[in-house]
Amino acid sequence: MASTVIGAGITIDGEITSDEDVVVQGTVRGKLTARDGVTVEPGAVVEADVSGGPLTVAGSITGNITSTDRVDLQPGAKVIGNVKAARITISDGAQFKGNVDMDV
Amino acid sequence: MNGDVATIGRGTVVRGRITGAANLEILGRVEGEVEVDGDVVLDARGLAAASLSGRRVTIRGAVRGDLVATESIVLEDGARVVGDVRAPRVAIATGALVRGYVQTGDAPAASSTARARPAASAATPRAANVSATASAPRTPPRAAPAPVPSPAARPAPSAPARPVATAIAGSHAAPSSNGSQASQPSQPSQTERTPPRAPSAHAPVHAPAAAPKGPPPPVMPALKKGAKGAMSKKRA
Repeated sequence: MASTVIGAGITIDGEITSDEDVVVQGTVRGKLTARDGVTVEPGAVVEADVSGGPLTVAGSITGNITSTDRVDLQPGAKVIGNVKAARITISDGAQFKGNVDMDV
Repeated sequence: MNGDVATIGRGTVVRGRITGAANLEILGRVEGEVEVDGDVVLDARGLAAASLSGRRVTIRGAVRGDLVATESIVLEDGARVVGDVRAPRVAIATGALVRGYVQTGDAPAASSTARARPAASAATPRAANVSATASAPRTPPRAAPAPVPSPAARPAPSAPARPVATAIAGSHAAPSSNGSQASQPSQPSQTERTPPRAPSAHAPVHAPAAAPKGPPPPVMPALKKGAKGAMSKKRA
């Protein structure tokens, strides 16, 4: 298990670049770029542009989201920003405000 | 659930500031500043171009920046540190490389306050003896001379004398560990060596000794600048 975990008590102001999975449980401000999957867990706060592979959101994201794969907004997720992805799901109970741009 | 642990993975680079009340494990790269209330562990393959601050800081990888801990700092085998090291307890294991000022004992303050502290503590007792109203005009002149010894103390960390000494100690220790695998005996000897440095009173003691050795390094940049100026003038 060689992934990056931003724990619940942690705040990162700045830029995160990763070649592997990133799990956010804490707070990230700035920019989050991953080559692989990104998971924003419940209670996590992301005030950043997020780009990466498959993106699962159960926490809060304020910023634009770009994914090469899919974006899943799970119940309890709160997203303010534009989403650009090949596929997107918005579950019942997810809050979302922004544009959706899918490859058509 | 590892909610209070953050891991910067092997393939991850963080530029910026990491703060919080959790433990931090760095396997990748961190540039900027790390300031957590928990423990910080820098893996053998981790790189930090950052100042690291935490309760207990354990280093196995490379750091360019200052280390500050409220409890302890452990530099393990393979650690490479360029920067100041301050903590109540500091352990430097055989095979760890350090270039910088090491301070053990209390007052794990930031480098700026640590420099100001001797001057301030020297000034305050005197000010207390003098009556409060009379001390007002007197304190400025006393505060002024106080910084004089502190700049003298300042060059000591950056002066080559210290790092060379630690490098020599490291090179002496390395062969012995290679020869007999007996890294244990040499390790205590190093830790025994550190406590005597612990009292902050030692800082001024080192300063005069290191001061004569200090001057040479600044010559290098001066030469470069002069050479550059001369080149441009010739071309012009």
